[in-house]
Amino acid sequence: MPALLLVLVGCGRRPKPEPKVVDLYIQSDGDLIAFGTDTLTCPTGALVRLTFHHAGRFVSARHNWVLTYPDQLEKLSKEFLDSDGIPAKGDPRIIAATPLCDKGGTVMTEFTAPAPGDYPFLCSTHPEDMRGILHVTK
Amino acid sequence: MKSARIATALMTIGLALLVASPMAAQLKSPGDAKTGLKLLVQVSNDFKRQITAKNFARIPHEYMEYTEAADALRSAIKDEPADFKAKVETRLKAAVAAYQKVSDMSAKSPDADKLMAEHGKAVTAMNALFDLFPADLRPDPNTPRKGAAKN
Repeated sequence: MPALLLVLVGCGRRPKPEPKVVDLYIQSDGDLIAFGTDTLTCPTGALVRLTFHHAGRFVSARHNWVLTYPDQLEKLSKEFLDSDGIPAKGDPRIIAATPLCDKGGTVMTEFTAPAPGDYPFLCSTHPEDMRGILHVTK
Repeated sequence: MKSARIATALMTIGLALLVASPMAAQLKSPGDAKTGLKLLVQVSNDFKRQITAKNFARIPHEYMEYTEAADALRSAIKDEPADFKAKVETRLKAAVAAYQKVSDMSAKSPDADKLMAEHGKAVTAMNALFDLFPADLRPDPNTPRKGAAKN
């Protein structure tokens, strides 16, 4: 009888839906200190797999892709400029970040898309020049 | 009659473009050359930024990037006539040497004012290099980079 109850209760539960997986791709604008595109879009709650490619061929400047909150962008940028530009692990102001990447390299990060809104992304070694917006939709 | 007018207009536009950028039309890879010049300006601006922020330890790294940007320009003009390449090489070497001086000074006597003055001389050397290229290939130092912070 208890087993039957468990089965019945279990049948009544809705299985937790798997998050939608969204693959995003972004690259540097060749050797220039700029992202190839400055806007990306994904739906809220999606499991985002972001790939960043450093498309440079000549200049050894390293790049990455860091996602933050709109009200943290300027402070974070200043901190990056005043330091080596290496994001601290576990910094709560950073939603997601790829590792730094040398020219020709490709790196990835995974994260759950936050609440709908516009979230700035940047390169931590060029925080004033390499910026863009991730549009998170409903 | 109408098609003759269109043909005349197209020829006029074509001629105007040729007159406006005779060198660009001659360069085999104008896009690559433009990128090479842009890279030099980009790194030069980073030099200036590091001096302003007194991040003197970063300046030798900027110099290394400047030499890499110089290599990008060399690669962009590798198929050009020898006399043009020789002219570019002479001025490019002068510009690289000027930026090396800034880098060396940053290690020996890091003084922001002196470094800025030396950087100004390096920019002059770089502009002399740019004079060898048509105006439409030269980067505008006042144009913000794509994705740059808007103040």
